[in-house]
Amino acid sequence: MSFIRFIIALWIGKLMRAIMRALGRNATYLPGAAALRICPEFLARAGKPEMIISVTGTNGKTTVCNLIIGLLTRNGVSVLHNRLGSNTVAGIAASLLSGCKLTGKSRFRTAVFETDERTTRLLFPHVIPNYLVITNLFSDSIMRNAHPEFIMGVIENALPNTVKLILNCDDPLSSRIAPRNARVYFGVDRLDDDVTECVNRINDMRLCPECDGALVYDYRRYHHIGRARCPSCGFRSPTPDYRASRVDFDAMTMTVSDADGECEYALLSDSVFNAYNQLTAVAVMRELGYEHAGIRADFDSGVTIPSSRYNEERAGDVTVIMQMAKGKNALACSRVFDYVSSRPGEKELILIMNDLHDAKKWSENTSWLYDCDFEFLRRDGITRIVAAGPRALDYYYRLLLAGVPEERLRCSVPELDAPAHLEFRRGGSVYILYGADAIELAERVSAETKRVAEVSCHSN
Amino acid sequence: MELLTRAVPGAVVVETPLRARPAFLDRDVDLCYIGSSTERGQAIAASALAPWRDEISARIDDGARILATGNAPELFGEYIDCGDGHRVECLGLFGVHAKRDMLNRYNGLFLGKYDNIDIVGFKSQFSHMWTDSEDDDEALFEVVRGAGRRPGDRREGLRRNNFMASYLLGPLLIVNPPFAKQLLRDMGADTNELPFERAAMDAYDARLREFRDPKTGFGG
Repeated sequence: MSFIRFIIALWIGKLMRAIMRALGRNATYLPGAAALRICPEFLARAGKPEMIISVTGTNGKTTVCNLIIGLLTRNGVSVLHNRLGSNTVAGIAASLLSGCKLTGKSRFRTAVFETDERTTRLLFPHVIPNYLVITNLFSDSIMRNAHPEFIMGVIENALPNTVKLILNCDDPLSSRIAPRNARVYFGVDRLDDDVTECVNRINDMRLCPECDGALVYDYRRYHHIGRARCPSCGFRSPTPDYRASRVDFDAMTMTVSDADGECEYALLSDSVFNAYNQLTAVAVMRELGYEHAGIRADFDSGVTIPSSRYNEERAGDVTVIMQMAKGKNALACSRVFDYVSSRPGEKELILIMNDLHDAKKWSENTSWLYDCDFEFLRRDGITRIVAAGPRALDYYYRLLLAGVPEERLRCSVPELDAPAHLEFRRGGSVYILYGADAIELAERVSAETKRVAEVSCHSN
Repeated sequence: MELLTRAVPGAVVVETPLRARPAFLDRDVDLCYIGSSTERGQAIAASALAPWRDEISARIDDGARILATGNAPELFGEYIDCGDGHRVECLGLFGVHAKRDMLNRYNGLFLGKYDNIDIVGFKSQFSHMWTDSEDDDEALFEVVRGAGRRPGDRREGLRRNNFMASYLLGPLLIVNPPFAKQLLRDMGADTNELPFERAAMDAYDARLREFRDPKTGFGG
């Protein structure tokens, strides 16, 4: 009876998927949700690939998944994934459904699933990965994820003993997860800009996880990422198996070394967090048995960071850059603010990280604004910031409190009016910082920005 | 705290390290603040404050001005029921206890009153508070919309003399400039002018309009 129910769920899901795709939809959530509704055991019964790589963590999981999928595809591997859809149970169910034959057996041998941290609780009892990659654990949305210790507990409680972990040794929190599981670590050597004291508003690891003593950092990259130790009990960050050294953002190279040797890679991006993402992908590929030379060649031949996260185009006298900055995630926005504000040249910013879903249903909890390092945006070189969208007044006030000079600030509730407040200085850049649920809106704001930039250029 | 220190030039902030004797027990301070922590942090804080329980109680009775936000009010109640068979013993200064439900996080908006001041705020928490004994203690805020100490309770937070505790999250003073100004007045500050007060009031007025709008969902 259960098998019949599963087959019915599978076929109905597949039918839904076919119809939705014919209508131009991605069909990456609803078919899975329907299948689970019809057959709650769908995840357990669906055929699965032999090799499943699950990627979770607060920041970087989408980019890491995309890089792994790109690298595997270059090597002729047909990969089942949830790249275009949801990273929750329904999204992964939709992905499994799409990968099943009508008999319920999987057509794929390899899967890469981006997995929401909280979803692990519902997923891992039925879909057990061979590898679990945890990019990092930071404070995220306080509403969904509370705090990183809580999320670490959720993952740990869900994790089967058989799963091999690929962990960030520079994160003293997530690197401690599930000590019973086999593991390898990746990490980035000390960088020139590293510090020892935390300069960020969020610092999730002040106390030793073993004895509650005060942690000391030999170096700290940002927030709690770095090399930590406890003078009281001897706790210290683990040693990396995959180590990035000589990270050079001028030459755009880094060297990755492991037990089999080392290789110099061209960096995909000039940001530290993307260096971590690239290193993570290399670590996964090395674990799967691929050689450094081949991985490097695949990066060189075009495996890169998807443009939905970062995209730049020329318009008039300026460069218009779309940069995702996940709203309600103070840490992700802090990292983006730090990165953008440290870019060379003059920059103007449009901030539209408002949570559009919340704006429709109730009102966004803006407490995260005060955990986020808006102070980075007072750096010289940022000549104008336009706060836009439903929470524009909150952003405006936060920017003032952060010390951004009032004359640099503008406020525009309608997002599409924001470009009219820009100056479009010749040779400068316009960054549009948008939330994960605002890609379409950001594209419209970007189009309007480019239009106004062209007009501004021709009228000068 | 940043808001208050910027509003009062020359204000001195004393941070008490974990397990150190709280500074406000030995010196006159205008405000003592304690904020949210993780569940593990709550247990550490409860045990770290326990040696000073009687002195903290005496200071509250003497009128020490204390503000506790987020889940910090729970530390002043009797205990926290962790929901897994464990409990964290707290200071026992108020006849309340908290109960956690780690699988169901409560997220909600709040609209309330502090005397005649409209209060807006956000809640995001695993636990709620139950009243065990009705002393003379008041609630800090009267609920207009949203949850009080727990959903359905019209009382939000705790108040005794100048002790003020609320589940509302950390930018409580920032999103409520009239309340922040009242606090500055009560503290006897030379000024109750807030930094960028016009911008603060614009954001506050807009949020108040939203929260009063019956079409705005309040979560929970």
